[in-house]
Amino acid sequence: MTVGIRVLAVEDDERIRASVKLALEDEGWIVDEAASGEEAITIFGKHAADVVLIDIMLPGIDGFELCRSIRKSSDVPIVMVTARADTHDVVAGLEAGADDYLTKPFAPKELAARIRALLRRVRPSKPGHSKLVFGNLEIIPDEGKVLLDSNEVELTKTEFRLLCELANDPGGVFSRELLLDKVWGYGYFGDGRLVDVHIRRLRMKVESDPANPTHVVTVRGLGYRLQS
Amino acid sequence: MTKLFNPRRIGLRNRILLIFVAGALLLSIVLASITYSFTRSNLVDQRIAVETNQAIANARRTQNDLLRSPDEVLVALDQGGIAHKLISINNSWTSSSPLFSRQMIPPALLQRVQVDKRAASMIVDSAKGQALVVGIPLPRINAMYFEYDNLREVRDALQSVRLALIIATFITTFVGIALGVFASRRAVRPLANAAQAARAIADGRLETRLEPTDDPDMQALTSAFNDMVATLQERVERDARFTSDVSHELRSPLMTLAASVQVLESRRDELPERSQAALDLLSSDVSRFQGLVEDLLEISRFDAGAIRLVLEPLFLFEFIKQAVSVSSLPRTEIRCDDIAALVAIRGDKRRLARVIANLIDNARIHSGGKPKVVIQLAENESPPTHVWIIVEDDGDGLIEGESSKIFERFSRGGAAGRRAGTEGAGLGLALAREHVTLHKGRIWAENRTDGIRGARFIVELPIDQSPTPDEHHE
Repeated sequence: MTVGIRVLAVEDDERIRASVKLALEDEGWIVDEAASGEEAITIFGKHAADVVLIDIMLPGIDGFELCRSIRKSSDVPIVMVTARADTHDVVAGLEAGADDYLTKPFAPKELAARIRALLRRVRPSKPGHSKLVFGNLEIIPDEGKVLLDSNEVELTKTEFRLLCELANDPGGVFSRELLLDKVWGYGYFGDGRLVDVHIRRLRMKVESDPANPTHVVTVRGLGYRLQS
Repeated sequence: MTKLFNPRRIGLRNRILLIFVAGALLLSIVLASITYSFTRSNLVDQRIAVETNQAIANARRTQNDLLRSPDEVLVALDQGGIAHKLISINNSWTSSSPLFSRQMIPPALLQRVQVDKRAASMIVDSAKGQALVVGIPLPRINAMYFEYDNLREVRDALQSVRLALIIATFITTFVGIALGVFASRRAVRPLANAAQAARAIADGRLETRLEPTDDPDMQALTSAFNDMVATLQERVERDARFTSDVSHELRSPLMTLAASVQVLESRRDELPERSQAALDLLSSDVSRFQGLVEDLLEISRFDAGAIRLVLEPLFLFEFIKQAVSVSSLPRTEIRCDDIAALVAIRGDKRRLARVIANLIDNARIHSGGKPKVVIQLAENESPPTHVWIIVEDDGDGLIEGESSKIFERFSRGGAAGRRAGTEGAGLGLALAREHVTLHKGRIWAENRTDGIRGARFIVELPIDQSPTPDEHHE
């Protein structure tokens, strides 16, 4: 069980905040509340949370800005809350650094499930593989480290898990559905944009030339593959 | 009394055309007639003058000839000109031609010449048209001299004039028709534009406006029309915004309700029995409320044209299996033939899954029977370009005339025999239709055709013909 998880909930509606806090505390988790982006940054500075829940529509600095601001210093999983699933908000939020999203109104059970999925630990599939090498890209799963040309690359937890999933079967093709299941715990109706945006984010960090990826490559019509 | 001719039945364009044609025709006929009568009288007068002078000269010469040799009457008549001549000397008539006899002289003319002893001329009608008869008294030889001229040249000249005028009349009329067509087109062009704009507005393109014009007659219509559309647009948008705003505003309290109910539910066992019953009611209605708000939001997005489909290639059979598994009857039987099992479509899987879920809900709520989902290629198509997803039930079927109404908003298929649902707000089928239409498909309902009682709902979607399914992003 994931006991003792610390969640920072950033939401300007205090009633929603209070009810979500009640529901998440039922899971045995600790919930910090913030009514604005500014307050969230202060609180996050005091106690690092395990997960941050951000409503995109915030007074003052908005959710996107807050995402980017947190991402500068932390690889913490971020779940954002949007009004709609079919807007550009989703892609914009993911590009700002969010790991997953929910649309309002959501059930706290669903939120808890999303958080659990994001906090799942990845283990190296084959023990003894302390280091996986793909050309100029090295993955050290036990230490959670990724090196590009021997320089350490800062990946978020989700990006790292995505890379490790791909590394579990080097050269094998992973469909978007499979990655959605393995990294986010989604079934058939998961949003493929999660995979697409995360792959894009990953390429920005692990590719020498992100426009012409050589490690994380697209297999047309099928999915993605990690190669040397 | 029935009016045989109702000018209002003729369109504006044709009325303008008719006025132009009638005007041109009338004007050219009047002008031609005036021209003709002037020309005619001029020509005839001239001819009469010439002929009379000629006749006088001839008469004098004939008189002189006869004075010289009184017996040579015919010889005298044969001189001078081609006109037919007739002379009466002492009441003895002699003609230079068998075509001119005494009977052809009108009595009035004879009277003037014989009694008044004066030269005169008269136009007579003959079998070959009009002719001129000139009579001159020759008192010195106690005779009357007559000349007959059939006016052929005048007739020929007049015939040419007539022909020219008829041709001119026709040309003028045709020019009138051409002008009429042009003028009527111009006159009704603003109306055609307005009609086109009105059609565009009816199709939902509310931003359509008429172009402003300098024409003072049209300005009133144009500005009134544009004002009307602006007001309409404002109202439609306000209504759509209202629905959207209301639904948005409802989401926050709903969020609180859903979270709080969940907290209560996790403590359900600690509650007294009556509280548990109340909690169950609360809990189920909160989720129903949530569904309704979602549906309303989705509908308002349709009305605002704000839906963005997240399209991706889908293997239909796999998709339907998944869609059914998340519906309210996840164990619904699916039948798919071998060919249809290979079909791929392009679609927004979450929205299409809602369509399937709504159709299954509809079958469950309204027909009570167990629905079945059938996937097959569209009937009567070769090569097949569409696929049918059929949700059929074994309920009471559809009442005649009901089959299109049930896709209207807040319709509950309330006709006899169908249990009015306590579930669902009647938006499910309306939403399904909107979704299917956005996917360039069709949806309709009919009674089952296989002899079993029940209804079937058919969703027709275009088959994705692209050889390899493509990723939708990147």
